[in-house]
Amino acid sequence: MFSDLSAQKEGSSLLCRPASDDQGPVFERMSLAYSPCSERYRIGDRSFSRQYAHIYAARLMQMRPLLSERAQQKWGSDVLIRKLCDLQTGEQCCIVGTLFKRMDLQPSILKEISEEHNLLPQPARAKYISETDELILEDELQRIKLEGKIDRDKCVTGSIVAIYGAERNDGKFTVEDFCTADLPLQTARPALSSDRFVLLASGLGLGSTHADSMLGLQLLVDMVTGQLGDQGEQSGAATISRVLLAGNLLSQSTQDKDASTKAKYLTKKTQAGSVEAIRLLDELLLQLVASVPVDVMPGQYDPTNYTLPQQPLHRCMFPLSSVYPTLQLASNPYQANFDGVRFLGTSGQNVSDIQKYSSMDSHLEILEETLRLRHLAPTAPDTLGCYPFYQKDPFIFEECPHVYFSGNAPTFESKLIKGADGQEVLLVTVPDFSSTQTACLVNLRTLEYTVAFAMGFPC
Amino acid sequence: MDELYLDNIDEFVNDHDKIVTYKWLSLTLGVHVNTAKQMLYHYLDHKRKESAAQLHATYLVSGKFVDNGQTSHKVSVVREDQLEDFKAKMSLIVSVHIYSVQKALLKDSGPLYSVDYDAVKDNLKNCSKYSAIRCNSAVPMSSLELQQSREIPEPVVKKPAMNGEANAASKPSTKPQKGIMGMFANKATPKNQDSGKEVKSEQKEDAPVVDAPKSKPAAKANPVLNFFGSQTAKKPDKTVKEEEAAHSSCTAEQQHQSSQPEEKQDTAAKESPKDIKKDYRSKTKRMEDSDSEEEKMEKKKRRRIKKPEPDSSDEDVIPDSPQQKETREASPSPKKEVESVSHSHQGSSETKTRKRRRVLKSRTFVDDEGCIVTEKGYESESYSEGEDDFQATKQVLKNPVPKLPARNKEDEKKSQKKTSANANKGTKQASIMGFFQKK
Repeated sequence: MFSDLSAQKEGSSLLCRPASDDQGPVFERMSLAYSPCSERYRIGDRSFSRQYAHIYAARLMQMRPLLSERAQQKWGSDVLIRKLCDLQTGEQCCIVGTLFKRMDLQPSILKEISEEHNLLPQPARAKYISETDELILEDELQRIKLEGKIDRDKCVTGSIVAIYGAERNDGKFTVEDFCTADLPLQTARPALSSDRFVLLASGLGLGSTHADSMLGLQLLVDMVTGQLGDQGEQSGAATISRVLLAGNLLSQSTQDKDASTKAKYLTKKTQAGSVEAIRLLDELLLQLVASVPVDVMPGQYDPTNYTLPQQPLHRCMFPLSSVYPTLQLASNPYQANFDGVRFLGTSGQNVSDIQKYSSMDSHLEILEETLRLRHLAPTAPDTLGCYPFYQKDPFIFEECPHVYFSGNAPTFESKLIKGADGQEVLLVTVPDFSSTQTACLVNLRTLEYTVAFAMGFPC
Repeated sequence: MDELYLDNIDEFVNDHDKIVTYKWLSLTLGVHVNTAKQMLYHYLDHKRKESAAQLHATYLVSGKFVDNGQTSHKVSVVREDQLEDFKAKMSLIVSVHIYSVQKALLKDSGPLYSVDYDAVKDNLKNCSKYSAIRCNSAVPMSSLELQQSREIPEPVVKKPAMNGEANAASKPSTKPQKGIMGMFANKATPKNQDSGKEVKSEQKEDAPVVDAPKSKPAAKANPVLNFFGSQTAKKPDKTVKEEEAAHSSCTAEQQHQSSQPEEKQDTAAKESPKDIKKDYRSKTKRMEDSDSEEEKMEKKKRRRIKKPEPDSSDEDVIPDSPQQKETREASPSPKKEVESVSHSHQGSSETKTRKRRRVLKSRTFVDDEGCIVTEKGYESESYSEGEDDFQATKQVLKNPVPKLPARNKEDEKKSQKKTSANANKGTKQASIMGFFQKK
């Protein structure tokens, strides 16, 4: 526990007169071995002319062996694994395929622009699931409608599953059971000798119109950089070895949606809202990087590409802070090893997208579901923007992380889950800082977490 | 430590009416943050004892806080009057110190932030100089180091992008690009278009003329003529007349040749500017698929070959007067008339009648990237004896058929080269003209 750790070392009180020749304590920032492994989320040659079918094909191809293996584990090694084209009516078998959920409410650009139908603009909704949704399983060649023991509302398009059951006479497949690829194998977490923390924060929301949260943010920075608090607090803060900012550093309000539709002469002299916000961010980062290594992931509202994987923010935007070697501009799914503890996470787009298209509400639940599906963003490219990969799908988990997080959640939630093969994963939903004033500290030694509130005046 | 700082703080608070935070004080006086906190405490204590003007203070409280079963480490700034309440709520207090001292009672946290912000902004270079944590690795890089370090990440970050561009340029990849290029191409030579087309159609005629004497005159000339007909039909101010002429087009070697020389000359005259244009374009627009690039290369080659061509086999037949006339003419319309006339001549003098028609055919195929591409192009269909040769022409006519030269190679080399190159150009524009025609 971070507070306990800090309290233990309490030294002299600061509520006294300064001693005559005391220079004040200086603690050494704990360092840790850091190795980024986000290479797979970098896009080399960008070609946007491809169609998206390749992602599904690559995904199914990569995951089919995993699921066949799972199916054999679950339903016995003699289970009949069929392709849809070989399916016999009434035969009990297992099929591996991609789920597709046909949703009436799913926004469709084609529907929106179809003038002859005279449809009203589709209202924005919190959820796009409805009673009429249909679940369909696709393999390389065919598709079949699913019924039975599979939770239609919970499933999302793009997940690869193995289903067990039989095809009925009416051409629908009655599911008796299904399984997902589940957690991949995990390398053992090294035993660390001392407590070291990684601070996770997201949704700083700079440049928003209401700046109430700014003192909170400054307090957080001051805490991490060892400005505030007693000596105990400061020595505790020195064990925060890394800060990870998980997206949405800028506020949504910095994005001016009208800018593209306004006449050029009207906007000629106005400056984009993000310019000022980025300057603020640069100054904030400067305070941080002068004292602690920082990884900066872009998020939904940050000035980089929109589609996953989001590429790192450009250095040129941070003239002040980028001179420090401690600033790491990272990609949006983010993966790195901190002292052998593998972190993997996103800025939260994948989770909030699944939230819209399934009955699951809790970010933590969705996070766990994606881990069980062994896919970071199953709804990409269907409802989530995604680069048209064609040879491989980089969002498939190849190795089980020790800490799996997603940013910009409404609240902080956390859970330690254990896999069948002894995997231990700490799931963390990192809350939006600007609205919750909450960040999260993960102890690398114990995988314990601490929520850190930083607030101005409590009301 | 001398107590001068008391007077300093007093001046800031009372005279300047400032909000004095520990951080601001630390940066202003250049003392360790903890010392600054103690100074503030000392000052407040000192003033309270004097019980002079009323001063307000805010405190920073941090510690363990349990809320709904969730334990957290909470860091807050509280007003003096709330301090005890707040402390009571914490389950474990880690630190308490004075955050700021000011004359006015603070209503919200905004001013506290802006005071610190200004102080930090003035001291951006050494904002963590007086903090209690030092980070060895956080040393700003010198400009040289910076350059070096950027050269390292750049291969990671930028190189792929560069590669990507390069690839895009060299790869056959993308149809959309092609489409765009196509647009540019057409836009780049809007004025040349007409002339270029004529050049092409004329050159097409060259082919038969050259081969005709050599092998099966009738059979060979016919498809080419068809070709010619179709080309002319596609010209901007296309007239039905022409179409008809094309339809009934047949081979009349004599007429053919008589009309051809002028065109030839035309080619020679107009070729050079066009060449330049094309080259320029190919240089600037690097985004090209290999298909079209190949084509371009071929075109270039062919053009080079073409230059000497006028003085090859056909040269001698060129009558002077029409030639000059053609060259002078910038607009296509008069020229076209001449051509159509010649066509009709051909039609009338033809002994064998062959049926020929132009059909807009759409072709769907999967390109290298796996994209399904539908291309529409005019094909000339005809029913005639010269099957093999005709086949070739047909291929040529199809819009962007990439590998057609291979086919043709069996036939005569020189003329065929020209034909295919022209065919590509011609059909491209032809399809565009078709577009205009619809409207």
